Amino acid sequence: MITVNGRNVDWESGLTVAGLIKKMNYIFPQIFVTINGDLIKKDDYDTTPVSDGDAVEIIHMIAGG
Amino acid sequence: MPTAKELQAMKSKHNVLATFSYDKPKVDKGYANQTLYVNIESNEIKSKPVTQDMKDKFIGGRGFDLWLLWHAVNDDTRWDSPENEICIATGPIGGTTQYPGTGKSLVTTISPTTEQVIDSNVGGYFGPLLKFSGWDALEIQGKATEEIIIVIDGEESTVTIETAPEEPVDTHILSEILTDMYAEDEDDRRNVSVVSAGRGAEHALIGCLNFSLWDVRRGGIRVKQAGRGGIGSVFRNKKLKALVVRQPGVSGDSNNPADLNVIQKTGVKMHREICTEDHRQERMRTTGTPHLIEVMNAYDLLPVHNFQYGKHDDTPKITSDVWFKLFTQGIPDGCWYGCSMACAKTVENFELRTGPYKGEIVRVDGPEYETAAGVGSNCGIFDPAAILELNFYCDTYGVDTISWGTTVAFLMECYERGIINKEHTGGLELKFGNREASLELLHQVARGEGFGLIAGQGIRRIKKIFADKFGADINFLNDIGMENKGLEYSQYVSKESLAQQGGYALTNKGPQHDEAWLIFMDMVNNQIPTFEDKAEALHYFPLWRTWFGLNGLCKLPWNDVTPADNPETDEPNKVPEHVDNYVKLFNGVTGMNITREEIILQSKRVYDFQRVFNIRLGKGLRKFDAQPYRAAGPVTKEEYESRAERYDGQLKELVGFDPEGKSTEEKLAALRVYKEDQYEKLMDSVYKRRGWTENAVPKIETLKEIGIDYPEIVEVVKRHL
Amino acid sequence: MKYVKCHPDKCGYKLVCMATCAKKVQKSDDPALANIVITKKDDGTIDMNVCNQCGQCIDVCPTGALYRNKPGVVRINKDICVGCYTCVGFCPTGSMRTHESRTVPFKCISCGNCVKACPNKALAHEEGEFEPSYFEKGEPGEPGETFPKEYF
Ligand code: SF4
Ligand code: SF4
Repeated sequence: MITVNGRNVDWESGLTVAGLIKKMNYIFPQIFVTINGDLIKKDDYDTTPVSDGDAVEIIHMIAGG
Repeated sequence: MPTAKELQAMKSKHNVLATFSYDKPKVDKGYANQTLYVNIESNEIKSKPVTQDMKDKFIGGRGFDLWLLWHAVNDDTRWDSPENEICIATGPIGGTTQYPGTGKSLVTTISPTTEQVIDSNVGGYFGPLLKFSGWDALEIQGKATEEIIIVIDGEESTVTIETAPEEPVDTHILSEILTDMYAEDEDDRRNVSVVSAGRGAEHALIGCLNFSLWDVRRGGIRVKQAGRGGIGSVFRNKKLKALVVRQPGVSGDSNNPADLNVIQKTGVKMHREICTEDHRQERMRTTGTPHLIEVMNAYDLLPVHNFQYGKHDDTPKITSDVWFKLFTQGIPDGCWYGCSMACAKTVENFELRTGPYKGEIVRVDGPEYETAAGVGSNCGIFDPAAILELNFYCDTYGVDTISWGTTVAFLMECYERGIINKEHTGGLELKFGNREASLELLHQVARGEGFGLIAGQGIRRIKKIFADKFGADINFLNDIGMENKGLEYSQYVSKESLAQQGGYALTNKGPQHDEAWLIFMDMVNNQIPTFEDKAEALHYFPLWRTWFGLNGLCKLPWNDVTPADNPETDEPNKVPEHVDNYVKLFNGVTGMNITREEIILQSKRVYDFQRVFNIRLGKGLRKFDAQPYRAAGPVTKEEYESRAERYDGQLKELVGFDPEGKSTEEKLAALRVYKEDQYEKLMDSVYKRRGWTENAVPKIETLKEIGIDYPEIVEVVKRHL
Repeated sequence: MKYVKCHPDKCGYKLVCMATCAKKVQKSDDPALANIVITKKDDGTIDMNVCNQCGQCIDVCPTGALYRNKPGVVRINKDICVGCYTCVGFCPTGSMRTHESRTVPFKCISCGNCVKACPNKALAHEEGEFEPSYFEKGEPGEPGETFPKEYF
């Protein structure tokens, strides 16, 4: 189990940041990600693993007209 | 387009009713320091000075508009009273050419649908050219007895009121005719901007105004809409056909800023950021605001079938890849000079298939997200050509696309639920997805006939008609009719974000997303979980966004592109670097020395003043902030059952109600009690944070603190303490 | 089309080109007004920046003030320009220039004065070809094909 924005989400082995974003269906382009408080660079989403127990924040910027 | 000879003939029919010559002041640090008063009943035209106090307290734009309007009307003024005014102003930063999004006009009036103050923020060249002609604001009072236009010529330094009996009313023709008529030659057309409405605004109360610009790169007219709250209807009710402004010679220092250098540097930095970031972020330059269609669909936020649902299988038919192909690419599409965000997208060579202009090849300005979602998905119309046709006709008829979309969606639901039938609609089969019916209804509005006469009145009045005349259940209509304060909702589903419910309904003008858009912060990011957090956001963001309207700015370049290092800042949602840009722009223009915090104070004055204004007009209190239940939760069984897992979960986790074995009706009722209670609590927290009473009245100490405790303002507040 | 080609390896950092350009083209003694900019980087190497006449700025200009003249050089029509500086921010090489005393940007006009003046032959006047920009290809003001029929 991990948390995403403070809410529980199932973890599976091999999960990456990119995989998690996909799993959550977070398609909004203006997002940024921290894992346990550390900012992850966009270019590293594919290669950064998400470990069991991680607290992930996927912060969406304000959108909307 | 009429020939030169025909234009001449048309113009020769103009009868000049009044001419006013003035000494044109040089704009000084963003201000012309005078406003223009035009009475189209008495034909009086005069100049009013802008006082230092006005600048200190109300800044400009919407602040000036409201201050002028406040002094023009009385407590009983209605939208169609002669003393009601239409006020138009940009702000001190408005007309800057170097920074994106600096050419907006702010328009206010007493609205026919909300019966209180409405404000609308619109592109096009009118506001800046008005200022460079020597006027910080224009107020138009009175009602004309024949069709007239007002012409402001900054080069000649004259203002005239002229009859204009022969020009057609619809915007796409009228704005082109008047641009050609008042431009000295072809090159001069870019120096002319026209404000117009259309035939629809004559018969509907949801009329909009179109602000034109001559697009040099396309060689044609473009129009941007002051859409909300029926300003176009007031315009036509006054027998105003158009406003024309002409001011040649716009340059980098027309606004005569105190520190041009800082403006230039800040502008270049921002252009560079858009150049390097936009294509990786929201792609505003190529797809404009419709990139939000697929985003909202993915997060269950795209209104579908009158806000019942938040996504649909047919959404891919109207997503940004489709619009990318239809929009002409590669053209600078700013709605004022220097807007490199360039979101004002256009579809060229569109052949109309219905209505009076059937068969004509036209340019369609848009659609914007709001239009595509409003007249599209919300009405179940997932058809780009139909959306474009509706977009075009709404504009040229002077009908607000947002209100039209939300109104038709409501009518379609009423039809599908048997509340109205073909007898009421005059044979129109108003089912979700019926594009022909939506278009025909729109043409009826323009012709002033049939069911169009009802449809054009906006949801609040329609509900009453259905209940009084057709025996409909008013409570149900109130639940599903997506309006608050008489204004139709703009196009986001707020059910799962309590903060956004406040962002929509705890507003001054009504549910328009331009005060606060908090859905991601609240629902997705979970960043503002407590009532205090939400109240803080509903204090800060509406004030922050009000400030754009005081200065003649567009909101989009604030956060629809962000610096690459924005995530590393302390408050990414506020986009700190851009906030600093705006501080620099304001100080650079005015020569003042404000801080980030003073931005909020400047807005707070105007925001609370607008609240008091509404109270003065008999509105503005807590009860007027009530929302239709559909904005908060599922009204019908189908809605509940379509998201049963989500709602069952909420009942268990949040409400403490075990959904096991309960009927949908029971679950609906339990959820509703909870959600309605949450909203009441939100109101309490927000009013408290805003320094208002529980009844949403700004407290006298709040007015004192922000420095707008003028006797006339305090007197209104006192009635409710 | 002739453009100014830079050879930073040959530059002696005498800034003769900047002075010449300011004087001859901008009629000023202020080298900050030159259309070519030579800077010394932290590592001691020289950076030479001047417009290569690629013409990408032509497309971002809202007023049509930017155009390619007959010989192919990108010029600014100052009478039309509103000083929005979009072209400055969007120039791929950062060669569109600004100065606080000006309300319109300025750029290399490929006159060759700096080339002649450079004592080290670090500048050359060379022939170049570029992809025509959107507005150079089409008739400005008449963009787009007809609306695709498949959407009806
Ligand atoms: S971002 Fe769009 S709406 Fe805003 S000023 Fe620029 S072109 Fe106009
Ligand atoms: S600064 Fe002048 S030349 Fe450059 S894009 Fe703006 S209007 Fe065009």
